[in-house]
Amino acid sequence: MNRSLFKNSTVNGISFKFNKIIKPLKILLTNNKAKVGFIILTGMMVFGVLGQFLAPYNPNRYEFVRSMPPSYSHLLGTTVYGQDVFSQLFYGAAPTLLVGFSVGIIGTFISIFVGISAGFASERVNNIVTGIINIFLIIPGVLLIMLFGSYFLGIHQSLGYLPTILILVITGWAFGARTFRSITLSIAKRDFILSSMLIGESRLSIIFRQIIRAIFPVIISNFFFTAMYGTMGLTFVEYLGVGNLLQVNWGTMLYWAINNEAYLTGLWWWILPPSFMISILMFSFILLNFGMDEIGNPSLRRFNSKKNKKGDLNEHTEN
Amino acid sequence: MIPYKYIFKKSIAFLVVLYGAITLNFLLPRLLPGNPAEIVYLAIIKEGGGSINPIYVHQLESEYGISNAPMYLQYFQYLNDLLHGNLGVSIAFFPEPVSSILAGALPWTLYLVISSIAISFFIGNRLGRYAGINRNTFKDLFVDLFSMFMASFPAFVLAFIMLDIFSVNSGIFPLGGAYSSNVNIGFNLPFIISAAYYSFLPILTIILTSIGGWVLGMRNNIIPNVNSDFITFSQNLGLRKEQINRIAYRNAILPNLTGFSMSIGLSVSGVIIEESIFSYPGVGLYMITAIGSLDYPLLQGIFLMVIISVLVGNLIVDILYGFFDPRIKQEGE
Repeated sequence: MNRSLFKNSTVNGISFKFNKIIKPLKILLTNNKAKVGFIILTGMMVFGVLGQFLAPYNPNRYEFVRSMPPSYSHLLGTTVYGQDVFSQLFYGAAPTLLVGFSVGIIGTFISIFVGISAGFASERVNNIVTGIINIFLIIPGVLLIMLFGSYFLGIHQSLGYLPTILILVITGWAFGARTFRSITLSIAKRDFILSSMLIGESRLSIIFRQIIRAIFPVIISNFFFTAMYGTMGLTFVEYLGVGNLLQVNWGTMLYWAINNEAYLTGLWWWILPPSFMISILMFSFILLNFGMDEIGNPSLRRFNSKKNKKGDLNEHTEN
Repeated sequence: MIPYKYIFKKSIAFLVVLYGAITLNFLLPRLLPGNPAEIVYLAIIKEGGGSINPIYVHQLESEYGISNAPMYLQYFQYLNDLLHGNLGVSIAFFPEPVSSILAGALPWTLYLVISSIAISFFIGNRLGRYAGINRNTFKDLFVDLFSMFMASFPAFVLAFIMLDIFSVNSGIFPLGGAYSSNVNIGFNLPFIISAAYYSFLPILTIILTSIGGWVLGMRNNIIPNVNSDFITFSQNLGLRKEQINRIAYRNAILPNLTGFSMSIGLSVSGVIIEESIFSYPGVGLYMITAIGSLDYPLLQGIFLMVIISVLVGNLIVDILYGFFDPRIKQEGE
């Protein structure tokens, strides 16, 4: 009975797959926080994709008048090296977003793998994996970044985007793994998992068909958290000066602005725009993170207080 | 009443992780491309402009504790040195041993970490409780937006803005240092006041950047509690609103306490960055110098000491958690 139900749902073909993309988006847009975050993030992505074509100048050109305040020809002024800040901001969007997203995707995959297998495995394996997760949680990420980065500097290399992503994934996956482990532990005890096991469904199938589906909002929420960590981490790597400082992204923009003491010499148009863009990007990630939490855990949602004063779990209305 | 079994389990885990960290600290420089020893030679050759005397190389090797001995012998040597508190000699601050630099810097860092994390945890949880209890109101929205905004601001940018506004432009707070030069170091009132005054801006910045996570976490923890059956039951019993809120708060704070031990590592990262910006003489300031001059002995020493401090902090919080959570307390009896 159960099996045939599964078969029916997978045979549906193309229309089902189309629905798979549209449906999560629709759910996403039911939540106000997620909606605002999604709009900002989409805007950022458009900014990142089109930025290279819309930028008025080459960001690596050093030929303009130095330290010019914003004007019509240079909307955000120029740096002390004579670069156009506005063009740098446009060019820097794509790499910043790409690093954030890559760290988010790779980190989430690792944490799903580790977290769910730990939560679903025997108690001994669970204990060992939990220990490993805790080690990675405890080690301060910035320290590892500094250590790795300085070794790279020692062999006269800087961290390009790939090593940066790698280090951020190493230091950032454990948060999600911890969440997934505890959620899987609680779900694995529920009746519907037990009944699937009794029917004879394989563990792999239970994990993919049931557990991952059940915790999907948490996975998405965690993706945004890890992406946030990745973007923030990139700015840290660049700020510490261990990254490749010739690359143009919002982190290196901040590095050069700070190291030329833009905040002391009054070059606000150099330091504020990248900070502002990073903050807005972070803000959208946080909104999406908490919005997805609310979607997954309905008791956190806003409810219509006129209909329901005490806010019972069962009777809440969606906003 | 003391959960011995729980404490024992946590202590064993602590020792295992500690051993892992110490070994990682040994392996990292040896596994990564580029031998630190060679880098030191190369730097010297570059500066001296010529070849290097083999006798001098040998002297350098013994001075920096670099050797070509087999791995396992190096490892035992390393462990032995650690036990005797010998962390090598700093390159950037040449004659000074790493251990004495750390002894001077670590107390300041610990002071910053502990005070900022404690204040941030306390205020953040109170704010989160306030938002959670008043949820769906304008107050909730305001607190939520404030914490999200604070959490989304890069910590070092906020630090620079604070430094610019309060130190550079207005001169309300000092530009750097940990205490005024005209007080005597020791347990006396002028010194404590001066230290508090010099650390105010760094601590405030760390609190502002870390508070958002606590607020949002507490809010999300307390809302299911406010909605739960035992709260309805206490309402029916006729308890006052503050009493009910306290019950919900006590229940909601447990997950945040687990988060507390996890966040120590993150806070240390934040503090390291802030210290370098506020020129506060903790390990962060030395770390930036160490990176700039490729001072590997110092870097490794800092890495090790910070990890040990974080681990000890974790152990303490975990043991305290055993006393706070009645479930663990009963389990251990």
